[in-house]
Amino acid sequence: MESATVAAGHGHADHHGPPEAHESSRMDRQTLGILLFIVSEVMLFGAFFASYFFLRVVVDPPSWPPEPYELPVAVAGINTAILVSSSFTIHYALESVRRGNHAGLKLGLVATWLLGATFLFIQVNEYAHIGFSARDLGFGSIFYSLTGLHGAHVFVGLMLLTFATIRAFRGHFGPAAKDHLGVEVPGIYWHFVDIMWIIVYVTVYIL
Amino acid sequence: MPAAPMYGRLPIVKMLLVTVALTAVISAVMVPINWDGQQASTAAPKIDHLLNVMIVLSAFVFSLVMVMLFYALWKFKAKPGDESDGEPIHGNTRLEIAWTLIPTVIVLFAGGYSWKVLDDIEEPVPEGQQLTVAVFSQQFAWSFAYPGKNYAWSEGELHVPVDRQVHFKMHALDVIHSFWVPEWRIKKDNVPGITTTAIVTPDRVGTYQLVCTELCGFGHSTMRAKVVVEPRDEFEEWVEGLDQEAPEALMEAVELDSATNPPALGAGGA
Amino acid sequence: MVAALKRPGWWRGLLGAVAFGAFGFGLVIALRAISDLPIYQTEQTGYPHIVVPAVLAPLGFLAGFGCFDYWLRWAVGAPTIPEDHSQHGATSWKDYFRFNTDHKVIGIQYVVTTFFFFFVGGLLAMLIRAELAQPGAQIVEASTFNGLFSTHAVLMIFVFVIPVFAGLANYVLPLMIGAPDMAFPRLNALSFWMLPLAGILFIASYLAPGGAFDAGWTGYAPLSTGAPLGQSFFNLGVQFAGASSIATALNFLVTIITMRAPGMTFWRMPLLVWANLSTSLLVVAATPFIAGVQFMVLFDRALHTNFFDAAAGGDVVSYQHIFWFYSHPAVYIMMLPGFGIISEVISTHARKPIFGYRLMALALIGIVVLSYSVWAHHMFVAGMFSWLRVPMMITTLLIAVPTGIKIFSWLGTLYFGKIHTYSTAMLFALAFIVTFTIGGISGVMLGMVPIDIHVSDTYFIVAHIHFVLFGGSVFTIFAGVYHWFPKMTGRMYDEKLGRVHFWGTLVGTWGTFVPMHWVGMDGMPRRVADYAEQFGNWNLLISVFAFMLGAAQLVFLYNMIVSWRFGPKAEGNPWRANSIEWQVSSPPPIFNFDEIPRVVGGPYEFGVPGAKHAIMPGEGAEVPAGEKSVVGST
Ligand code: HEA
Ligand code: HEA
Ligand code: CUA
Ligand SMILES: [Cu+2]
Repeated sequence: MESATVAAGHGHADHHGPPEAHESSRMDRQTLGILLFIVSEVMLFGAFFASYFFLRVVVDPPSWPPEPYELPVAVAGINTAILVSSSFTIHYALESVRRGNHAGLKLGLVATWLLGATFLFIQVNEYAHIGFSARDLGFGSIFYSLTGLHGAHVFVGLMLLTFATIRAFRGHFGPAAKDHLGVEVPGIYWHFVDIMWIIVYVTVYIL
Repeated sequence: MPAAPMYGRLPIVKMLLVTVALTAVISAVMVPINWDGQQASTAAPKIDHLLNVMIVLSAFVFSLVMVMLFYALWKFKAKPGDESDGEPIHGNTRLEIAWTLIPTVIVLFAGGYSWKVLDDIEEPVPEGQQLTVAVFSQQFAWSFAYPGKNYAWSEGELHVPVDRQVHFKMHALDVIHSFWVPEWRIKKDNVPGITTTAIVTPDRVGTYQLVCTELCGFGHSTMRAKVVVEPRDEFEEWVEGLDQEAPEALMEAVELDSATNPPALGAGGA
Repeated sequence: MVAALKRPGWWRGLLGAVAFGAFGFGLVIALRAISDLPIYQTEQTGYPHIVVPAVLAPLGFLAGFGCFDYWLRWAVGAPTIPEDHSQHGATSWKDYFRFNTDHKVIGIQYVVTTFFFFFVGGLLAMLIRAELAQPGAQIVEASTFNGLFSTHAVLMIFVFVIPVFAGLANYVLPLMIGAPDMAFPRLNALSFWMLPLAGILFIASYLAPGGAFDAGWTGYAPLSTGAPLGQSFFNLGVQFAGASSIATALNFLVTIITMRAPGMTFWRMPLLVWANLSTSLLVVAATPFIAGVQFMVLFDRALHTNFFDAAAGGDVVSYQHIFWFYSHPAVYIMMLPGFGIISEVISTHARKPIFGYRLMALALIGIVVLSYSVWAHHMFVAGMFSWLRVPMMITTLLIAVPTGIKIFSWLGTLYFGKIHTYSTAMLFALAFIVTFTIGGISGVMLGMVPIDIHVSDTYFIVAHIHFVLFGGSVFTIFAGVYHWFPKMTGRMYDEKLGRVHFWGTLVGTWGTFVPMHWVGMDGMPRRVADYAEQFGNWNLLISVFAFMLGAAQLVFLYNMIVSWRFGPKAEGNPWRANSIEWQVSSPPPIFNFDEIPRVVGGPYEFGVPGAKHAIMPGEGAEVPAGEKSVVGST
């Protein structure tokens, strides 16, 4: 009580900082934070998948995809392979930094970044040649919004990777768990982006 | 833990008696009142009865809460200047089980009964005995198409025969509207792109108002139509008297709606 | 001046807003020019040259204001500003008007901002009541009227009730669990600063051609997809409000899970912490749905997609499913934190342990789980799958059970206690129990399909809304504000004025919203600017009580302002409460604690001989750590 009251009256800021918070969980804040964030991301996709369900199953148009549209399943399949492989490269990057192999870290990050960028490029290219727009029926709307929403996530993921890469080249990050959260957290997010794509691909292109 | 015996010290029986008495009083005042207004369909008395049952149950729940609250306030209010703490009771399993189970029973009963009433009021008569009326709503007007005599068309005025089940097949031409005749107790949205159905058996001759109850724009509060429930012969006369036909554009929908309905109004029916 | 533009703050924020806004404007113009479209697209759902800047300008403001400075430097690996705590704490009122990472400052920023919006929303309600005082047109014509209740509800829900709870919890929750601050202080500040932006977007819609958004707070398609520009402001505002509350919820969850003081096990957390844990679970998993559905509406409006255009393969009812999958949980997002507040207030002022603590916590979790399975009770007459009605009716009714557990447990807490009613907080808490029970019961009636078929979209709904939201949520908010006012401001408020406000509000609420049940059942639809003669007298009565209710709020406003400025100094623990926030000075030290307290017992151990909740720094360790808590053992 006293000590508290003494410390009261603002302005002591520069004299002492806050006390270290007690760690009541084994998980660190950043990791838990990104996992919870991913939960709400999943629900955001969920909203659009719900819409997909209504437009396809409830409205139940005579054919899906409606004549004459068709989807480049193969190209998208290759794209899927590209994105999935990027999950391994980011994993490699993480393993490397854990083992203190900085070159491997950089290599892994750059490789992941390039694979992700390629994916985006191919997807944009696909949009350009696919032959229907978001204005063509509910089908067009939901196709573009699902793939586009995912594309946006790839973009955000690339941003995070860019940051991680820059810092890696500036010599940041170390083997200790606390010292490479800047790689691990974007990594978790990137894995999520990949898994989400597999779900989108299967739903939109294959089913 | 000395909790249980302590609650034994309460005049539980007395409190329950007061609760029951209060319930009786509230019910006695509220049940006789006709909250929902005039009844003009077979569904109305059923729904109103359900409401009354619920009023009694609610009165009980509410009285229970009031009695518990005010007894506590009367009995356990701190004397001025009394700085001491209450008795360290942390709970009482029996009580907690009681007030988990009792509400469960009440709501399950309410749910089951509602289910029965719902099935009841939506029970369709055998195919072909109903009268089908196609309803078209748009900002901010109602129109109706009748089978037989190639789909007579009426704007802003709905006539139906008394004591015959009517199936309203509803279509919205722009945004969502909602079909409600308070005296019938029946309400259903009209949704663009799909056909919704409302089943009503008007059982009281008279003139009522059809109210749009889904926000549909600046004219929402004025989107009304006249509803006339009349004996069958008058009704048929009125339909004969209609000289407009359903617009071409809507004909397809109307035919689909009336598929199960005898073309001649006379056939089937009560 | 130039220096001011370099420093994070209002000037740079303004610059950022203008710059980003101009960029967005230019972008649209340029793109339309090269794709030789008409430069300005002014079909009412379009206006890209306004919508795009409306997205970018707020972001520009946030960037300029300094919300991202640290992260950007960190991201590119530049040497981050050494943490000198210069962004932490408030030494003058000015510190409340800058990017501040102190959860106590943010808490106050939240509460003050949200109450500003409450008064604006209330003023709109007064206009509604003035229009409805008599049949026929009084002050506004129909189209304007629809804008009034839409903005009224949106302001009240998205920038008052939901965030004000986040604000109160922001202030007290870290103190309660013995944490020096929230887990992500900068994110916390960012979530706050997104809020006024949302509110401004909502209010700014009045300036849009075609007037404010007027499709109701539910914004049902296709009415909303065809509505004038104002609707787009709603779509965008919701995004900012939503992002803000998701970020705050993440922050609460991480804080509660990772930063509890030693000894603060889950079963020793105050129920307010439990309540915000549950609420945050709802926010994180449900809010994305309204974000999603408002994006779809925006796309349908601006890009002419066909999500809700039945003519082009869209589905109209899908809007309602997705909307309510958020907006039903939202109603508990607006209630559970209040439950937490009531638990604190009642147990403190009845000087008694919470009755059935564990069941109280479990009931919260039960409500969270159930509330994901009831959304369609808003759609019983909407023409959705008819088979879904009965299952949703059952789950809906079952929610009465965990809620009832809470009501009865609060009542049980009063028994054999020493009930003090000198505090306005306690008065509101007790009144809440009664008023909310009414609102809940009318909810249960609505949950019964046949009854709902009749009263859906009538004033019976309006009555329910306000009994649960005003008599429920807002009463708990008042209770919370009064309860923690001494802690937040270091001063006591005036209990006499508090009582005037309390009685005015109680009588006003009942007088205003009880008759609404009657006119509703008797056939008066909601959302109408005009109504049948027969309801004239009742509505006049309602309006009179509404104005009195409004006047009562002015008393509250006066009391808060004057007491904050001139009220008598408050000591650390005026209510003799147990939880940790009361064991520090009022207002608390800038860093909350010199060292983290040690928790050795439950938070509500009133009357338990020798029991103690926490050992504060400086106190002798006379109480052995890890002493067994008796909380919940029955
Ligand atoms: C704080 C906000 C809040 C809260 C807590 C609630 C709580 C509940 N609401 Fe409400 N509701 C709204 C806000 C809220 N609602 C709003 C804003 C709307 C309108 C949206 C619009 O604009 O269209 C709405 C609309 C609404 C509808 C749709 C009506 C329609 O549009 O046709 C329904 C239907 O089921 C409903 C039901 C319920 C139920 C069953 C509860 C339950 O949670 C209540 C549980 C509580 C109790 C029951 C009281 C205490 C319990 C006991 C004392 C135990 C014993 C009780 C019994 C056995 C009955 N609500
Ligand atoms: C937390 C949410 C909340 C709160 C606090 C309120 C508060 C109030 N509401 Fe509101 N309301 C809603 C949520 C809320 N409402 C919702 C969700 C709807 C549905 C909208 C829709 O259909 O889409 C609605 C709709 C609604 C309607 C129905 C509109 C219609 O369907 O046509 C009405 C009508 O009377 C109304 C009235 C009031 C009144 C009188 C208050 C009062 O309690 C307000 C009291 C507060 C003040 C008055 C502010 C303080 C005083 C001043 C600012 C000074 C000025 C005072 C005077 C001039 C006396 N509200
Ligand atoms: Cu049509 Cu309201
Ligand atoms: Cu609901």
